[in-house]
Amino acid sequence: MILEFLLVPLIAVFIAPFFRPKAATGISAAAFLVPFVLTVYGLAANRVFEEPLIDIVKPVGTFYLLGDQISFAFGFAICIVSAMVALYSLPYMVHRFEEMSYDIEHEYRRFIFLFNLYATSMLWLVFSGNFILLYIFLEISLLSSFLLIYMYGYGNRRWVATLYFVWTHIAGMLALIGFLITGFDNGSLAFNGIAKIGFAAWLLIFLGMVIKLPGLGPHIWLPWAHAEAPTPVSALLSPLTVGLGAYVILRVYQIDPWFIKEYMVPIFVYGVISSAYAGFAVLKQNDYKRLLAYSTVSQMGYCLIAICLGSYGAMAVVIQYISHAFGKSILFMTAGGIIAVYHGLRDITKMGGMHEQVPTISNAALIGFMNLGGVLTVGMFGEFFILKGVVDTFGFNIPAILSVVFVFILSGFYGFYTLKRIYYGTPKDYKKARVPRLLDTPLYIIGVISILFILPPLAPLLLNAIKLGIGGVIP
Amino acid sequence: MMEYEIPLLFIAPVICSLPIAFAWVRSPGAKWAEKLAYLSVFGLFISLVIALHILFTYQEGRYTIQWLPEYNINFVFIFDYLSKYMGALTGIIAFLIGVYGLEYMKGDYRLGWYWFFFNMFTASMLLVVYSDNLLMLLIGWEGLGLASWGLIGHWFRDDDEISYVGTVGRKVGPLNMFWPPSMGGWRAISTIRTGDMPMFFAVAAIYALTGTLDISQIHWGGLFHMIGYGGTVLLCVLFLMGPFTKSAQLPFSEWLMTAMTGPTTVSALLHSATMVAAGTYVFMRMSWYIQPWNLHSMPGVEVVYIFVLFVGLISALYGASVATGCRERKVLLAASTMSSLGLMFGCAAASYWFGKFAILVAFWYLITHAFAKATLFLVAGHLIHATHDRFSCGDLALAKRMKVAFAATIVATVFLVGIPPFTAYWVKSGMDEVIHHIAHEVGMAPLTLLILTSLLYSAALAKFMSQNFIKGPGYHLHLHGEKLMPLAYATMVSMLVVLLYEILTGTEHVAGHFVEMGYVSSSFIVGLGVTAAYVIGTYKPSISALSKLGTFLSDRMEMPFLNDYIVPGVGWVIAWLVGLGNSAIDWFCHRGIPSAFNRFSRSIRSIQVGYLRVYLKIALGFVMLVIVVSAMGWW
Repeated sequence: MILEFLLVPLIAVFIAPFFRPKAATGISAAAFLVPFVLTVYGLAANRVFEEPLIDIVKPVGTFYLLGDQISFAFGFAICIVSAMVALYSLPYMVHRFEEMSYDIEHEYRRFIFLFNLYATSMLWLVFSGNFILLYIFLEISLLSSFLLIYMYGYGNRRWVATLYFVWTHIAGMLALIGFLITGFDNGSLAFNGIAKIGFAAWLLIFLGMVIKLPGLGPHIWLPWAHAEAPTPVSALLSPLTVGLGAYVILRVYQIDPWFIKEYMVPIFVYGVISSAYAGFAVLKQNDYKRLLAYSTVSQMGYCLIAICLGSYGAMAVVIQYISHAFGKSILFMTAGGIIAVYHGLRDITKMGGMHEQVPTISNAALIGFMNLGGVLTVGMFGEFFILKGVVDTFGFNIPAILSVVFVFILSGFYGFYTLKRIYYGTPKDYKKARVPRLLDTPLYIIGVISILFILPPLAPLLLNAIKLGIGGVIP
Repeated sequence: MMEYEIPLLFIAPVICSLPIAFAWVRSPGAKWAEKLAYLSVFGLFISLVIALHILFTYQEGRYTIQWLPEYNINFVFIFDYLSKYMGALTGIIAFLIGVYGLEYMKGDYRLGWYWFFFNMFTASMLLVVYSDNLLMLLIGWEGLGLASWGLIGHWFRDDDEISYVGTVGRKVGPLNMFWPPSMGGWRAISTIRTGDMPMFFAVAAIYALTGTLDISQIHWGGLFHMIGYGGTVLLCVLFLMGPFTKSAQLPFSEWLMTAMTGPTTVSALLHSATMVAAGTYVFMRMSWYIQPWNLHSMPGVEVVYIFVLFVGLISALYGASVATGCRERKVLLAASTMSSLGLMFGCAAASYWFGKFAILVAFWYLITHAFAKATLFLVAGHLIHATHDRFSCGDLALAKRMKVAFAATIVATVFLVGIPPFTAYWVKSGMDEVIHHIAHEVGMAPLTLLILTSLLYSAALAKFMSQNFIKGPGYHLHLHGEKLMPLAYATMVSMLVVLLYEILTGTEHVAGHFVEMGYVSSSFIVGLGVTAAYVIGTYKPSISALSKLGTFLSDRMEMPFLNDYIVPGVGWVIAWLVGLGNSAIDWFCHRGIPSAFNRFSRSIRSIQVGYLRVYLKIALGFVMLVIVVSAMGWW
């Protein structure tokens, strides 16, 4: 059943380019809403789906599709965000092609193909039941996003794209070597065929994913890539792609958690430092998209923190991924909205009081930052579980408590500080503009979903499923 | 009935505010859109009716709606003495201020935003009030913070000096001593987030340790026993960070002063009557069920209550002193609000020694204060409208033109400061009695602080009354024939008379006890002192010989330095270091390593230039190497 649903966006990848831009966009968005229904059903279904695809020789093992609650939860975020960003990309990319003086219809075919390929590969990735299959989709997503940055990015886009390619491939290679070692040890790379993961393999996978996530140090690639990518691509890269690093770690952790448990304290400390460091970096940025990119680093630090905190922490990883996906996609789209409406305006020092000109975008940004800060949105549960995990794991350890609390405070701080810088205060002298409907409505759809997730029936749907998904595997 | 009524209590105001919110996005400023404000107020009215229905007909008890049963977390509503009265109070005040706002906010440029957040605030506040579950309480709590931020920064354009706080252009050292609305909003939310997150942790810790979040069901004694002295103190202090920041206790008081950049209706509802009182309310609710008076064998609990007692009373004294120095109408009231909140904390904390009655005294003071202070704010708003000046000004001629406002001010101040035999006198007598009683355990310091606060507080409010209606500076009056505004504050102030009736007749079983305490001679002496302070404040609202001290006080004893200089300063230093670190890593990864590779590659390639002499040199070099190595080997 999963296969059929997942085939829909895959078919759309190849069909959409044959249509005119408007129809192609519609097809893409609809194609992601079909598996969206599946994920909602999967979250409610209370069972695990396994669908074998093909048997391959040792040490690769069976390729199969795995639909458990974790996959459905990640898939849920990927589907809805991809669908909304697909809608959004129509007016945005038209603006971008005009700016680059390309032929719109012709260029949009290329774009929508790569875009759909990129999003679909991420969706397949979270349903892959085999590390090699997972790696293949990881690679497809990297290549397609690389091409998108290379072809339509801003600034020094070829250099940035190469940089992105190199960094993510270092990450990918390390993880691949780790996977292969695991495969040779266990004779299979199917999730259900792996019994244990050795030190070297765990270390390589972990390092690879920390580069991808990214943690402090390797984080330096992210602001370049996310800031210079065309905004619809940023709105997938940042909310969805980097978080898949956390997904892979979580999967490996579910199979054999010893590494994280052994090195819990250093990883926790590293996560806190990454998160706080990037949080402070946010305050200093003057480029809206770069600012958001640093905030991504800070938010991904949450995932590193959470993974150390036992089963509630693991649940928090999933919720954090979802809430960050919602929040950050909204925020990147607000940045893009201002870029599209005001011809490349990204410099925050030239903004101020923008609520006057673009109130709908400003209000969406508020919902976006509420998601990041965990205010009245699904992120609230993420924070709640992380805090509970801190007590479960460290007891009343004052430094651990205060550092986590501090990181959370910092997220709220930079969120509302940025809002004040960009949207409030004395308005600058810009003409009031009409924002195309597709540049703001998708943001609100995501925003409303993120708020509805704190209330029944969505809250119990998600949280019960995650509890089942995590509780079933981790001892 | 219950299953429809309770969700409706929270949903109705929010739903009713959505039409105007959406309409304003489509066509801001349209006449038909402005009319939708009435629908918003109707939403508040529904809440009011339900809250009153709960007050008069519901049995004490709890009501559960499933939320996350798998986690043992549900929407649990509790109906007890505190919540029934507090809910009704919130409903009445929100509705009256809503009515007032119809006139006050007429012609505003951002009505959709205003009504949405105003109504969302009311719903959040009611959620906090009736909540027995801590996570549900936190949802309301965050809603309060968000609504407060939205409404303080309502006039986000910062273009009207009338919405500022402080004297525009004034500087003290490196600091601007004036704050526009966008700054006020930022200061509020940043302070509140600082408190909310530790509180959130405490809630999560309670969940982790006990597996439940229902305040009335947790076995608090067992919990404190389990985590011991250090754990108890840590848990309670982290929890209290939430109430302390929300209720603007020291050192988190600054945001409340600059919260006055919001519309006056907001100051009246959020920043005096309800939201800031939510902090003290939560403390009372927790204490009600923790029953600290039964936990004298737990060492940590006493420390916590002493801590709260002194934070509260010191903040109270600070607030009252600052209020005496203020010239801005609303800031004066804000400082006195902070003072009152401090008294509530102090008195409720005394419950550790005195028992449940101390909480009831604090709660009754909360009610009295809410009605009186909301009235004063509404009058201040009317005055600001009428004189276009946020600094106190006015004389008897003005008082004659605005009779209702003058009368309401006199009643509200006299009833609030504790002049016998009016409402607050009886409640304050209860407070005197409570704090006096605990002198055996904690010494005379609390009582001294309380009496000093009462005197200064009385003088400050007398100053407010006098400077606006009797002896204030000159003014220009522009009355527009307002009807709803006087109606709202006249109704509000009449509630104080209702309370007085309740106390004197003893129809309300708790209030009846206050009368006994009012007849104690020491209470009466304090009452006389308060009266004297009021008379002096009225007669001499400003003393020019003390102008230096007054400036120090109206600069809030230089507390703005904490919010605007010290904390951001530290933040910017770290951010600067982080910026350096980023540049260094960026240079190393994206310039250093590539250029090192470039150089390495160039030096390798430099061998292959095509000249014979180079290859000869290399060959010779190898020959030499072979000779040397073989020579060494042979040797």
